[in-house]
Amino acid sequence: YRDLHTFELQAPTRLIEWARGNRVCVAGYGQSDGNEILQLIPPPTLQTKETQGLCPERDFKVECGGFSKRPVYSLKYVPDTSLLVTSGPPDSSLQVWQVSAEDSDVIKSVSTIATENGTGQSWAKIATISARAPWVLHGSRLDRVHITEVESRKNVYTAASRGSEELSGLAFLDCNTLLLCCTTGQLCLADVRQPQSPVEAVSVPSAPCSERWCMSTRYGAQGLEPSSQPVARLSSRGLLTLTDLRKTSESLASAKARVPSPGSGAEFLCISWAPALEGCLAVSGFDGTVHVYDTQRWDSSGREAEPIFIHKGHAFGGSGDPPLVTVHTWHLQKPRTLLSAASDGSLHVWDWVQPCGKC
Amino acid sequence: MPEIKVTPLGAGQDVGRSCILVSIAGKNVMLDCGMHMGYNDDRRFPDFSYITQNGRLTDFLDCVIISHFHLDHCGALPYFSEMVGYDGPIYMTHPTKAICPILLEDYRKITVDKKGETNFFTSQMIKDCMKKVVAVHLHQTVQVDEELEIKAYYAGHVLGAAMFQIKVGCESVVYTGDYNMTPDRHLGAAWIDKCRPDLLISESTYATTIRDSKRCRERDFLKKVHETVERGGKVLIPVFALGRAQELCILLETFWERMNLKAPIYFSTGLTEKANHYYKLFITWTNQKIRKTFVQRNMFEFKHIKAFDRAFADNPGPMVVFATPGMLHAGQSLQIFRKWAGNEKNMVIMPGYCVQGTVGHKILSGQRKLEMEGRQILEVKMQVEYMSFSAHADAKGIMQLIRQAEPRNVLLVHGEAKKMEFLKQKIEQEFHVNCYMPANGETTTILTNPCIPVDISLGLLKRETAIGPLPDAKKPKLMHGTLLMKDNSFRLVCPEQALKELGLAEHQLRFTCRVHIQDPRKEHETVLRVYNHLKGVLKDYSVQHLPDGSITVESILIQATAHSEDQGTKVLLVSWTYQDEELGSYLTSLLKKGLPQST
Repeated sequence: YRDLHTFELQAPTRLIEWARGNRVCVAGYGQSDGNEILQLIPPPTLQTKETQGLCPERDFKVECGGFSKRPVYSLKYVPDTSLLVTSGPPDSSLQVWQVSAEDSDVIKSVSTIATENGTGQSWAKIATISARAPWVLHGSRLDRVHITEVESRKNVYTAASRGSEELSGLAFLDCNTLLLCCTTGQLCLADVRQPQSPVEAVSVPSAPCSERWCMSTRYGAQGLEPSSQPVARLSSRGLLTLTDLRKTSESLASAKARVPSPGSGAEFLCISWAPALEGCLAVSGFDGTVHVYDTQRWDSSGREAEPIFIHKGHAFGGSGDPPLVTVHTWHLQKPRTLLSAASDGSLHVWDWVQPCGKC
Repeated sequence: MPEIKVTPLGAGQDVGRSCILVSIAGKNVMLDCGMHMGYNDDRRFPDFSYITQNGRLTDFLDCVIISHFHLDHCGALPYFSEMVGYDGPIYMTHPTKAICPILLEDYRKITVDKKGETNFFTSQMIKDCMKKVVAVHLHQTVQVDEELEIKAYYAGHVLGAAMFQIKVGCESVVYTGDYNMTPDRHLGAAWIDKCRPDLLISESTYATTIRDSKRCRERDFLKKVHETVERGGKVLIPVFALGRAQELCILLETFWERMNLKAPIYFSTGLTEKANHYYKLFITWTNQKIRKTFVQRNMFEFKHIKAFDRAFADNPGPMVVFATPGMLHAGQSLQIFRKWAGNEKNMVIMPGYCVQGTVGHKILSGQRKLEMEGRQILEVKMQVEYMSFSAHADAKGIMQLIRQAEPRNVLLVHGEAKKMEFLKQKIEQEFHVNCYMPANGETTTILTNPCIPVDISLGLLKRETAIGPLPDAKKPKLMHGTLLMKDNSFRLVCPEQALKELGLAEHQLRFTCRVHIQDPRKEHETVLRVYNHLKGVLKDYSVQHLPDGSITVESILIQATAHSEDQGTKVLLVSWTYQDEELGSYLTSLLKKGLPQST
């Protein structure tokens, strides 16, 4: 490590989202109704390029917080506004909140975006964009995907799809193109301008079995043709595939992550591309570790890949069962800094050193 | 409604000086008397004119309580007691009483000698002030006067820091001062019992902070020291005699032992003896581990840490030195600093807050060319590091303390209003208590619901407990009695006793009701029918047929007469006393339903 900071949150979080001004947001997902949404200011050590060792300010500061009656499983800021959207069980409706850090330190609940709640609906996955207007893309199943205008709560688009598979993630590739990922691993593309044409499945994993999949697209890669960035998918058995959306007939590369025996559940599977490091991605959710891989070393054979770094910090928590890493995210500017959180409430910020070789 | 009034004179919504005025049941208490370290003029003192414009403070205040020896809690005490004028008692714990004067004198020296201020207290004033101090032990109830009592609780934070409970009758306030809910290497964690005060006044400086783990800070500190020593440099750590120094010594000693390091670690002479003296004296104030091991060997007698001699500063090679005073403003630490400042291999680690004007403050602000006495310029090439190991409670700690004490109201001091709204809501939601955040000079009034103790007569108690289900320790039991307020006392007695004492006669209320029954037979036959019916229905009650033709059910009387105009109708007179109201009403409605055909 070059640097490692450990913090303890009062309640564990399963999301870490970046906000304007280098803020970080976390939220509780417990069953009781006192879940807190916290917008944190990271310590100055994380904000400067050089790492300072004994900086006087080494702590996160809670800038503002809100109280949620339901567990918060997903949270996204709505760009160019002071709003954020959350979702969580028991249904697929969304909650809209207002953050006004200058006036008060309370994140206020503003409204709810209701959805039709069928049986067996799980919580909605969300993505936001503010290209034409502040929009939130949400849905828990393939046939329940909508885009809603955040402020007016008007439905702007409904995806026409034939399947009703559960979704594990969705994203805006640009202001017109949507990428949807099902838990079966299926990737689908949709065009907002053509709501009538059904959503196309563009890539199905080669060996479908009862595993769950999640995906990651390149984080806010500005100026680049979004569909030229490969999409990475991770399965609960540790399979990793990279797919080029322009050529979806075959995967670009695939590998297998070294994971402990499956069965630890796919609740917290998380995969993400490094925003400032070409070809690197991080994987977590199998145990108390976070793995970093260099995908440029992969080929299409699908054999086990060696991670270039493993963060084991969470496993050395207190007594009792080793915690599970619930989520991780990359620092937007510092190339090798990550934040990870685990089920015991710990929050780590770490900066790893590339072992022997290139930068 | 009785109320408690709280006015912060400092530490309302700013971090700086703590000084809080509390009015409880007619008693006035001042909590802490701190100095604001950032100001150079009168703004550093709390505004005492608020307490009383004219009139002596001694008459107005019943006592002053100091929570711990940090200057932002006791710095203005000599000014207050000797320059403004107060002769009443000042309460603090024994360690605080021992250490306060040292810090005050030290501070006086910097301010007057170094900065040349004039409106400041003198050494004699400090001595006179300390003469007014009454030292207290932990968990000892101290009677300030007949009605006011105080009790100190362990607060962690620094040696001798305490949280105080102030009680008048059954109204109480707990003031936390600065506290820490997690133990460290040489101090334990704060603790209070479920005293359920009407108000808990808590500091909230670190409420919005999520702290980096202690392990990480320590690891980074050790890394810096190790790196410097490895490359042959010298590390200077200016410390105050008591406080973090002990913590760091234990940390370094353990590290040196583990890594088998050979570089010497020195501790200023005088410092060790004084520190050891205080820690031995106040051993009960340290944490469990220290107390346990102190018996076998003095924890503060270190293997790797030795007493320092001035000459050592010139020795070649690496070393680590702890020297006083803590802000590099005078004495040994400044001397050593001047010798080592020119070499970039060396390092100085500032352990905490430095007052403006001191060398410590200057180098922390980035100054690298300092003007010393005699117009000499000192170029600082050595590395300057800052680390803060201060121990304050964060949001989680505050919630823990509230959970322990179970106050009815909470008041937060030491934070910024805007940034405390979230914590306020959090406390209100979780504990369903009111949370207040007054600004300086703003008075908060908290309504209390005091319990009034009342004597209950033994006879009444025995009688009431015999009625109904057995008393349950966890459930309140409802009792009936008469409250007598006589001669300034409250007593609960049984009604008969009350009547006797007051010389009043008891009036008996009797109700009579007429029930009409259709029955053509003779009166005595009707009576027999009624008797048999009632006997059959009211099996648990005593139903009797008297020779005079009337029926009694318990003490209720039933008589039958024929209706004056209609022989076929019988009139039953049912008569009962007020005490038998329930049974009487029941009987009446039963009889109104009519008699069964068979009898």
